Amino acid sequence: MKFQSFKLFRLAFVLGISSFLLFIPFSSFAAQKVSINFNDYHGYTGTVKYIKNVAKAFPNITKLVEIGKSTMKRPIYVLVISNMKTGTTIDSHVKLRNMRKEGVKNVPPMKPYQGKPGHWICGSTHGNEYTGTEVCLYIIDKLVSGYGSDPDIKRLIDAQTFYICPVVNPDGLYNSIEKGISQRQNSMKRDDDGDGRINEDGLNDLNRDGHITQFRYKDPKGRYVIDDVDPRLMVRLGRGEKAKKQLYSVIREDKDDDGDGKRGEDSERGIDLNRNFPEGWFTDSGFAGGQGDYPTSSPEIHAIAEFFTNHRNILMAQNYHTSGGFTYRPMGTAPPTSLHPKDVAVFDRIMGKKYLELIGEDVPEAWKETGSLDKFKEELKKESKNKYAIARGYELPRGWRASYNETRDRRYGYGMASDWMYFQYGIYATTTELWNPQKDIKDFPQFTGRDARVKRDRALLKYQDEKYRGKLFVPWKKFKHPELGDGEIGGWIPKYRGNALPGEPLLGVCEKHWQFERFRAELQPEIVISDAKAQVLYTTNSANQAAVSQEGDQVTIKKGKSKGKYKIVEITTTIENKGKLATHIARGAQLSGNREDIVWLIGDRDKITFLQGTPFQKLGVIDGTMKIPSYSGRGAPAPSRQQQMRRMPRFIPPGFPMRRMRGQRFQPTQVTQGGSKRKVKWLIAVEGNTPLKIVVTSQKGGTKVKNLSIK
Amino acid sequence: MKLKNNIKYISAFIMTVLLMVSLITPAYAQKKLQKSPGGYHGELDFPISWKRYYSYAEWTKIMHDIQKKYPHLSAIQSIGKSRMGRNLYLITITAKSTGKHQNKPAMWVDGAIHGNEVNGISCSLYLMWYLLTRYDYDKYVYDLVNECTFYILPGLNVDANESFVKFPNTPNNPREPYRPEDNDGDGLYDEDRTEDVDGDGELSVMYIEDPKGEYKLSPDERRFIRISDMKEKGLRFRRIGSEGYDNDGDGMINEDDIGGPDPNRNFPYGWNLQAGNPYPMSESECRNVFEFQLAHPNIFASFHYHNTGRLIMFQAPPAVSARSQTPEQRQRMQDMLNQRLEEMRKTNKYAQLFDRQVAPEYQHDMDTQIEIVTMGARILKNYRPTIGGLSGQAHAATYYMLGAYSYLMELWGSPAFDADEDGDGRVSDVEYLKWIDVELTGEGWIMPHKYNHPDLGEIWIGGSRKKHTQRTPPARYIEMEALKNAQFVMYCASQFPKVELDEVTVTPATQDLFWVEVAVKNDRVFPTASDRSVALKRAVKDKITFNSSNNISLVNIPEGVTTVDPLNNMARYETITEKGNEFRLKGKQTLRFCALVKMKGSKGWVEFNVKSKNGGEAKRRVNIRVK
Repeated sequence: MKFQSFKLFRLAFVLGISSFLLFIPFSSFAAQKVSINFNDYHGYTGTVKYIKNVAKAFPNITKLVEIGKSTMKRPIYVLVISNMKTGTTIDSHVKLRNMRKEGVKNVPPMKPYQGKPGHWICGSTHGNEYTGTEVCLYIIDKLVSGYGSDPDIKRLIDAQTFYICPVVNPDGLYNSIEKGISQRQNSMKRDDDGDGRINEDGLNDLNRDGHITQFRYKDPKGRYVIDDVDPRLMVRLGRGEKAKKQLYSVIREDKDDDGDGKRGEDSERGIDLNRNFPEGWFTDSGFAGGQGDYPTSSPEIHAIAEFFTNHRNILMAQNYHTSGGFTYRPMGTAPPTSLHPKDVAVFDRIMGKKYLELIGEDVPEAWKETGSLDKFKEELKKESKNKYAIARGYELPRGWRASYNETRDRRYGYGMASDWMYFQYGIYATTTELWNPQKDIKDFPQFTGRDARVKRDRALLKYQDEKYRGKLFVPWKKFKHPELGDGEIGGWIPKYRGNALPGEPLLGVCEKHWQFERFRAELQPEIVISDAKAQVLYTTNSANQAAVSQEGDQVTIKKGKSKGKYKIVEITTTIENKGKLATHIARGAQLSGNREDIVWLIGDRDKITFLQGTPFQKLGVIDGTMKIPSYSGRGAPAPSRQQQMRRMPRFIPPGFPMRRMRGQRFQPTQVTQGGSKRKVKWLIAVEGNTPLKIVVTSQKGGTKVKNLSIK
Repeated sequence: MKLKNNIKYISAFIMTVLLMVSLITPAYAQKKLQKSPGGYHGELDFPISWKRYYSYAEWTKIMHDIQKKYPHLSAIQSIGKSRMGRNLYLITITAKSTGKHQNKPAMWVDGAIHGNEVNGISCSLYLMWYLLTRYDYDKYVYDLVNECTFYILPGLNVDANESFVKFPNTPNNPREPYRPEDNDGDGLYDEDRTEDVDGDGELSVMYIEDPKGEYKLSPDERRFIRISDMKEKGLRFRRIGSEGYDNDGDGMINEDDIGGPDPNRNFPYGWNLQAGNPYPMSESECRNVFEFQLAHPNIFASFHYHNTGRLIMFQAPPAVSARSQTPEQRQRMQDMLNQRLEEMRKTNKYAQLFDRQVAPEYQHDMDTQIEIVTMGARILKNYRPTIGGLSGQAHAATYYMLGAYSYLMELWGSPAFDADEDGDGRVSDVEYLKWIDVELTGEGWIMPHKYNHPDLGEIWIGGSRKKHTQRTPPARYIEMEALKNAQFVMYCASQFPKVELDEVTVTPATQDLFWVEVAVKNDRVFPTASDRSVALKRAVKDKITFNSSNNISLVNIPEGVTTVDPLNNMARYETITEKGNEFRLKGKQTLRFCALVKMKGSKGWVEFNVKSKNGGEAKRRVNIRVK
């Protein structure tokens, strides 16, 4: 369906969204531009077609990856956006030898884009919340078409990796858009009614107009009445409310397909995917709280869990849902004390502040203070019953919240995505509820009070009359239902309910959230080797003479006298995080599967003897350049004892003798800890000549290489 | 109430009650029944040597071959693939002539979830072989295979199993599925594995000569022993560690061996990130097992074979928190428990008691488990029953998420042959070596020897046990271990619930009214559904229904418990209703039902049907004739 495309184009221009419409051919990328518009929803088919076209048109900066298949065997795609020619990973630099003869090949090589900070963005986890899919497509378009023209975007794509999964729940989206049956859940081949048949009784398009709208019929027990002002509108009566008018019942278009006396009792509908993640899936008493037979039981969430496990570079994540026009940051299933205060500060004071500005809501006073929040805490003590807000110094605003009920101290939900991403993978994960008609439709009247809902519904109907020539609403028409008799079919076409209206309102939502993700991308850490030197101190014939003694910081080198075949080389390097945030969130480095940043010194093994320092050295978590407002503590808490034990190699030989250097023990590498810089020094003996390189690798801060020549 | 008004003494009735017991006669009769324990029980119908360990190719072939010989009793399917693409073959054993496998209560048995614990494969295969070959000869096995289903997955972690059996390894590795993991935090995955440096087919320990080393050779030169006096002169060694190379050049050896998360911490119940990373059911081996179990709600109990320690780790119901107890109170409880146990052991030395308080709704599960493991201790002799752990373990998921009774068996153990000569409670190295010399006739020890290591120069390798000595039994003891474990599994299956109906009794009440009474019983240890499955709402209730000839009708009396004979308090019955009565039969429980019926004419019949998902079906009919 197309709506007044000319008018929309003009509006878009006025709104200043014209940048991509008026995009001036600039580089070779411009010729390959894949056009896209937001005049209607793309659904699953349209989305897949678009991302396939993008992947074909931009092979240098995109890669389409199928991460799994839904129950109905529809592929789940992630579009990787990153400069495929930049980036490296540590496994391509370390040469392995004398490998076990059994030769089990269980470790696939890493891809270069896994050596850059990752940013996950996904939509349509709930099949009927596809505004998120549109925002994903908008962001894809902004990124790929901006690569050739916008130096800032080019920098992001060169240095970072975006993993965009526009459709997490292909079956739910396909049914919601392509079939017109609104389906929040995934699909499952399950016999819901226990009659031995699977999915035999779902919704039906009774009047075969291509939409599954509503059927209303006169029913003395009904709870709906026709609205006085707009007779197209059905108003639901409140609890106990009585009306003197004709009462109606309203159901979705449906009949009893299998003749068991029930309508729509065995549809494709499966489980709520945002309740199938592992974090907080069980109730406290040990029963299933989340959905599905077990956490990650659905093929969709299994695919995502596996993807996150194999892409440890993801530091930012966004899960798009509708609606409400606000963002949830973690946690929902655990009290706020489960978050590290530094993470809270980054979430609220940096990201939250930007988000509120973008959606046009007031930023809490406390967030403007960069120092101590004590005075705000004192004030809150007087007026608030929320102990968590008092401890923190502010109440969470409407537009930026956590789903945990702080005032009642009660968890919300089970097994949700952003909780899991934050708590188990160490990711700045958020869940954004897109679309708030009162804010996202320009000049939309604001309503408050008891009748606000009805008034808003009337205004929305009027709005679609004017802007969409009434095409989003099917007028009520008489229909004889096979079981319920006379009535009428009509109502909002369900796909336009609960989601950003296509065209101008949708573009506005897309732009705001693209701006937000772009802002977050600018926060990503970026590890660089800012300085590296290899200096020959002297040469000797006997490596043993180059023994080193160390007292505290003082290293004494016992020099050989004559010129010899061993060069004693001092290597120094400075490693820096030029990005704004640290290479792990505060919770991150402690987690299973995450590791500290490390630096390798690699050369020809047979020619190098390490006198001081080890071939790879842990650097801890390197802070970013940004000062975290009102956070004065040190970075990440120290890894737990258990964590440290797990990290211990299985067989550490106490003082391992290197070849030709028996008796010599490894000295620890000199690493200057703290802040956004690390200075590392090695002392090695080199026999003859060897190429040397320093490889610094951070799981979420990127991998960088510097080749050295010995001078 | 009608009854009271019509009470008259009627003596004219003479009852003739004819019982028609419908015996279930299986279509497949037992062909070669053998009643002498010394006789031939079919073992040579399909001979298998239990004196060795088999590779994946070998044991899957054995499975397929035996299935071809006994197609009427077994079927093989692959329940999915391992990480490295091996099929996970599961054999279903039940007599096809007596019903479909999914309609009988089932026993799940899996082996070797930990790669190195391949003794579990032998024990699973042995059970399969025992059931199939003895079916025709052994009444006990015959009944079991007719009445229950066995789902046997001999190897769960087949990739690591295969490596352990076929390649040089220590008794302790490899354990986990092959998910890549960065153990040393150097950014590389599984890059520094163990290697058999000297090529002798064994994975041992490396030592290097060092005048300041902490080890020396033992006097018999078989072991490296710690030096107590650091001033001691002579040949001294430093321990380097497990045999291997420094593959990645980081100065450490074997610090990042193959293997990811512990598969027995990967199941959803009680899962935690630290032990079960990266996420629940991340390993395809575990996921395939759990998906199969979910799809087969007839699984009633499960066995999971591990090595080592000779333990019966049964899953117990959740403990009621004893937070209010002081340490003194706890101690007193413990003392009382010990005293009671001592008392009990005067009559049964295998008696068991456990320090666990459970909620009333779980008491029956606790009692049932205690009764089962008491018999387990009796059958397995030197195995110790203990309460199993929760954190992401397979048997925690089967009990807590599926409601099936579950047992983790730690097979075998080093105190096996009472090698502890000085009785200090542990087998010292010297005692261990003696065991190897005598019982293992010298097999099982790697002698220290010199070897030229490419990275380290001249080193010593040896002074350690071979695999199949400590964790897994030497091949000569496989059958001994497998037999008694098979007996325990079969004992459990023999205690699966079975509903039975006792004789129906008919008592005249007044005129044309009769009392009809029947008892439903389950003589087995297990109830028809576990307490946990009830809590999970997975339990299907047992149901008794009443049926009769057209001239007989049920007289409505108030639902609930009826006392037929006011003078006999014991005769308490539940009244049968038109739509039938639902209940759950506990282990060794009898429930009595009665109905007041009205008969027109002088001839008729009444029938009771009882149906239980796990306990089967039973039917009783009586003909009534009034003379």
